[in-house]
Amino acid sequence: MAAKYKDVLFGLYNDETILMKAIKTAKAKHLDIMDVYTPFPVHGLDPLLGLEESRLHIVGFIFGLLGTLTALCGISFIFGGSLLFEGDWPTIFGGKPYWSLPAFIPITFELTVLFCGIGMTVVFYLICGMGFGVDNPVLHDRITDDKFCIAFQTNDMDDSGVDELKGFFNETGAEEVHTKQI
Amino acid sequence: MKQFTFESKQKTLFMAMMGIGLLCLVLSYIFEPAAIAEAGVHQRFWSNFLLNASYFTGMAFMIAFVIAAFTLAYSGWFIVFKRLWEPFALFLVPGLVLMLVLAIGNYAHLHHLYHWAADGVTDINSEHYDAVLAGKSLFLNKGWYLFGTLVLGGIWAFCAVKFRQTSIAEDNDGAHPEKNFPYQAQLRKWSAVLLPIAAFTGPVMIWQWIMSVDAHWYSTLYAWYCMAGWWLAACSLSIILLIYLKGKGYFEQVTIEHLHDLAKYMFAFSIFWTYCWFSQYMLIWFANVGEETIYFRERLDHYSALFYGNLVINFVLPFLILMRNTTKRRNGTLIFASLIVFLGHWMDFFYLIKPGTLITAKEIAEGGGHHGAEGAHHAAAHASTFVEGFTIPGLIDIGVMIGFLGFFLYFVFQQLTKASLIPENDPYLQESLHHEVQVYE
Repeated sequence: MAAKYKDVLFGLYNDETILMKAIKTAKAKHLDIMDVYTPFPVHGLDPLLGLEESRLHIVGFIFGLLGTLTALCGISFIFGGSLLFEGDWPTIFGGKPYWSLPAFIPITFELTVLFCGIGMTVVFYLICGMGFGVDNPVLHDRITDDKFCIAFQTNDMDDSGVDELKGFFNETGAEEVHTKQI
Repeated sequence: MKQFTFESKQKTLFMAMMGIGLLCLVLSYIFEPAAIAEAGVHQRFWSNFLLNASYFTGMAFMIAFVIAAFTLAYSGWFIVFKRLWEPFALFLVPGLVLMLVLAIGNYAHLHHLYHWAADGVTDINSEHYDAVLAGKSLFLNKGWYLFGTLVLGGIWAFCAVKFRQTSIAEDNDGAHPEKNFPYQAQLRKWSAVLLPIAAFTGPVMIWQWIMSVDAHWYSTLYAWYCMAGWWLAACSLSIILLIYLKGKGYFEQVTIEHLHDLAKYMFAFSIFWTYCWFSQYMLIWFANVGEETIYFRERLDHYSALFYGNLVINFVLPFLILMRNTTKRRNGTLIFASLIVFLGHWMDFFYLIKPGTLITAKEIAEGGGHHGAEGAHHAAAHASTFVEGFTIPGLIDIGVMIGFLGFFLYFVFQQLTKASLIPENDPYLQESLHHEVQVYE
């Protein structure tokens, strides 16, 4: 995609079953769907669009591991008694050894979850191109409310191609058809 | 196939399993380990009886509980194999009869599983007086044990029978939507009765049946821990049975999607079980209060194979095996993991029950009666040797488990023949048939 702006032709549907049927029709006609927007997750939509499984959970695993290591290293650095660290401030709690794993498990668990949660959120924002100061174009406000949207990119299309798409929207029962430049 | 036939081959197999169990029970009655033979209380026999009776009754209880929870949550996905769970829950009836043997045994001095049930522990003039047990005697007494098993257990069994009856009545009658509504209302009513009662009385009976073998010790987490274990056992047995019955041509509509969700329960509750295990251990370890720590000291010193093996079998293995979606969706790995979980939790209950009963038997063997408040501590110091059938499960103990398993399966298969395998008129059946877990292959 060379153009700076995308010319988008999109249709709004009232119901997810109509939407699903429309996507199947588009597939049969080999129309190149840019994206589909729904107000809530629609069961079976991802396989229909041929989307692959998100790799976000791998990120979660890596950040979780990082959290576990941070917790264990941090605790070891403070209390010592382990192979790696001498102990910055060794303290005896309840007559236990300086380095006593069962007592560290809750903190380790919490830091793992914390790192995992924050890491996944930040990476999710990054890969979606969202964040502070980023202008996020929205095709139509009602996509976040009660409308289901199929969008096509029409930058390099001639009129007959656009007409074909409009005919497709007509035929599959779209309530509204709009164009927008984003 | 909607109608289940109990083949004579299966009958023979279960009969043989029960035969092995009976033989092993007799053997465990005769051959008491030498260390406690003097006591003459047949502790190996009775502790095996308690272990297996409570294990299978507990599974039945948890299935009744889960049916109630699912019904009240308007859950539909399990309807297609509901007819397998109803007999599971119905096992409460024979299971409670087995537990009743123990409750009556408290009065008749058939067994000495529970220190608190011994003569004189609450009598301040007796040489066997035990101040701690006397303090707990308002709850830990024979009357409560009998009342709990008979009345509280009776309420569970009654609700389980009601679930079954209503479900079958719906099968015979509610062919039209307007007709099956009253049956659903009935089901929800009995679920609403059972759920809160079971949530409160389940722990109470766990304290009575299992936790009180270590009568001086207590833990508030114990009941959740046991309930998680029972649910895991029932869940794993359901998976094995469903795959077996599917292989025989029954339950065709039970797809890998349903098994996947059951496997998710197995995965999640294995972690929950470990959470309970660890919380209980860590709090007691850290607080370092003598009367609580003795419980784990005893187990770490003399049952270290069970102590660490328990964590490996019930946490590490299910966690690693069931983590990926692919292993949750393959019959082979599912059966493997289910077998591990089923046997692992049997071993877990072995580890919960045996040390306490061994200490009680040793006290009797050494003192000719029960010691005072320090009894448990005193006996622990002498329990340093390996005792067959207590330190690790012996062949006889495994044989007894096979016997009880045979009885359980015989009962379940017998009940399966009595109704259609698919509840045709259940309003949630269609939802269950179309149940799908969205997985990226």
